Amino acid sequence: MAIRLDYVMKETGQNLARNLTLTFAAILTVAVSLTMVAASYLIGTGINNSFLGLRSEQQLLVYMNPSAEEDQIDSVSRALEESPQVEEIDFYNRERTFDEFQTLFREQPDLLSSVTAEDLPTSFRVKPTSTDAEVVSALGDTFAEREGVLRVAYAAEYARQVQRSVNTLNRWVTVVGVVLIGASVLLIFNTIRTAVFARRREIEVQRLVGARNWFIRMPFIVEGLVHGLMGALLAAGGTLAFDALWQRNFVDQVAFELLNQIRWSSGDVVSAILIITAIGALTGAVGSGIAVSRFLRA
Amino acid sequence: MIKLDNVTKVYKDKHVALRDASASIEKGEFVFLVGPSGSGKSTFLRLLNREVKPQEGTIYVAGKDIGKLPGYKVPDLRRNVGAVFQDYKLLPTRSVFDNVAFALEAIGRPRSAIKEAVPQILELVGLTSKSKNMPDELSGGEQQRVSIARAFVNRPLILLADEPTGNLDPATSVGIMKLLDRINRTGTTVLMATHDRGIVDTMRRRVIELDHGRIVRDQARGVYE
Repeated sequence: MAIRLDYVMKETGQNLARNLTLTFAAILTVAVSLTMVAASYLIGTGINNSFLGLRSEQQLLVYMNPSAEEDQIDSVSRALEESPQVEEIDFYNRERTFDEFQTLFREQPDLLSSVTAEDLPTSFRVKPTSTDAEVVSALGDTFAEREGVLRVAYAAEYARQVQRSVNTLNRWVTVVGVVLIGASVLLIFNTIRTAVFARRREIEVQRLVGARNWFIRMPFIVEGLVHGLMGALLAAGGTLAFDALWQRNFVDQVAFELLNQIRWSSGDVVSAILIITAIGALTGAVGSGIAVSRFLRA
Repeated sequence: MIKLDNVTKVYKDKHVALRDASASIEKGEFVFLVGPSGSGKSTFLRLLNREVKPQEGTIYVAGKDIGKLPGYKVPDLRRNVGAVFQDYKLLPTRSVFDNVAFALEAIGRPRSAIKEAVPQILELVGLTSKSKNMPDELSGGEQQRVSIARAFVNRPLILLADEPTGNLDPATSVGIMKLLDRINRTGTTVLMATHDRGIVDTMRRRVIELDHGRIVRDQARGVYE
C-alpha cells in the first residue's frame, strides 16, 4: 500500500496548527538547547585547536630579545642550567619558533605571510622544580633583568587558568544543554500526547475501520520530527550567530589574550550544525515515539 | 462465516460477560442478539472484530481463528468486519462526505477510488443531498445512515450493529432496519444487538438470546421473547 504523503502532511499540519502554543514552546526549547550544544562543541574544538594545551606543559617562558647577542643567550642558558630551581629547559631557536608559529596560526594566512623567522624572538621553555606560583615568579624575576632578555612570561599558569575556566564554563554549557534536551523530549512528548488526545475520536474510528498502526502513528511521529528539525533549524541560525559574535569579539582581538586563541574553522561550524540536526531529529523521534507507544497501544 | 466454540470472556473487574458461548453463523445470515443490559450482547460483537479477546474458547471469522491473529493482522480482520453503534461515532468537524471518506483514507485507498466510492454509498443510504452537511445538521436517523455508510463503504463481509436504533424513534428505526436489510441482501452477514422488541418481532430473523453471559435461546425466525 502506498503511503499517502498528502494525508500525512495534512494531518501533521493540522496537529501543528491545533497545538500552536505547545508546538512553539517545544520548538523554542529544542532550539535553545541545541544552540548551547553547538556552542559547547565549537568552544571545545577551539580549545583543542589553540595553543593553550601546548603551553600548559611549560611553566615559564624566557623570551630573548631578537637582537640579543649569541653570548648573552649562552649566558642565560648556562644560568638556567645551573639553577637548582630549574628541572628542565628547552631552547626554541628562530626556526623552531617559526615552525610552531606556523602551526598555531595556520588558519590566518595574512598573519603568516607578514611574519618571518627573523621577526620572532627565541625563547627558553623552562620547567621549574616547583609548581608553587611564588617560587616560579621569583625565579622568573631573577632572569627578567638579565642582559638580552626581552621578557619573562608565566604563560603556563595563566594559560592553564584560562583553559580551566573556559573548560568549566563549557562543561556547564554542555550540562545545561543536555538538561534542556531532556526538557525538549518531555515537551515534545507532552505536545504529542495532547495531539493524540485531541484526535482520540479520529483514532478510534481509524482503528475500527482497520487502519494499520503505523498509519495511525505516522502523523504524530512526523509532528515530533518537525518539532526537532524546526528547533534544529533555529539552532543552526543561533550557531551561525554565535560563530559570528565570537569571531568579531574575540578572535584577533588583542584585548582577549588567550581567549582569542580559541578558534574554529567554518568546517567545524558545519559539523556542529550537522550534529545538532541529528540530535534534533533524534529528540523529536524519541519524544513522539514514547508518546505514541504509550497512548496509541494497539 | 462466524463460529464461536465455548467462548468465555471475563473482564478485569471479574465481571463475566460471556460464559461458554457456542454459536455458528452462516454467510448472509441476519442475526438478532437480544437480552437485558449486561447480558453480553456487546461483548459478543466486540469479540468478533478483536476489540476484546476471550479467556477461553476459539472464535473463527471467515475461516480464521482470530484469537491466534497477530496484532499487525487485526486491521485486515477489521476491514472485513464493519461496525455501527448506538452513538454513531461520527467526527463532528467533518462533513458527511468526509466522514465516509475518512474510513477509506484510513485504509490507504487512493483519492480517485474514494471520489468514486463515497457518492455511491451515500446514494445507497439516501444521503446524496446531504453530503456537504456537518453531522450536527442531521437528524439522528440521518447520522446513523452516515455511520452505516462509513461501515459499509469498504464492502465488509460482516456488519456488526450494536443497538443501532437505540436512540431513534420507531418510525426512523424502521428506515434504518430497511437499510440494514438491504445491506444483508447483498450477501453481507449482519449481527445486530437490540432491545427493540417491535423490530425483532416484525423482521422474524434468527434470534440469539443472552442472559448473564449465557446463550439461552438460539431460534431461527424467532421473536423477541
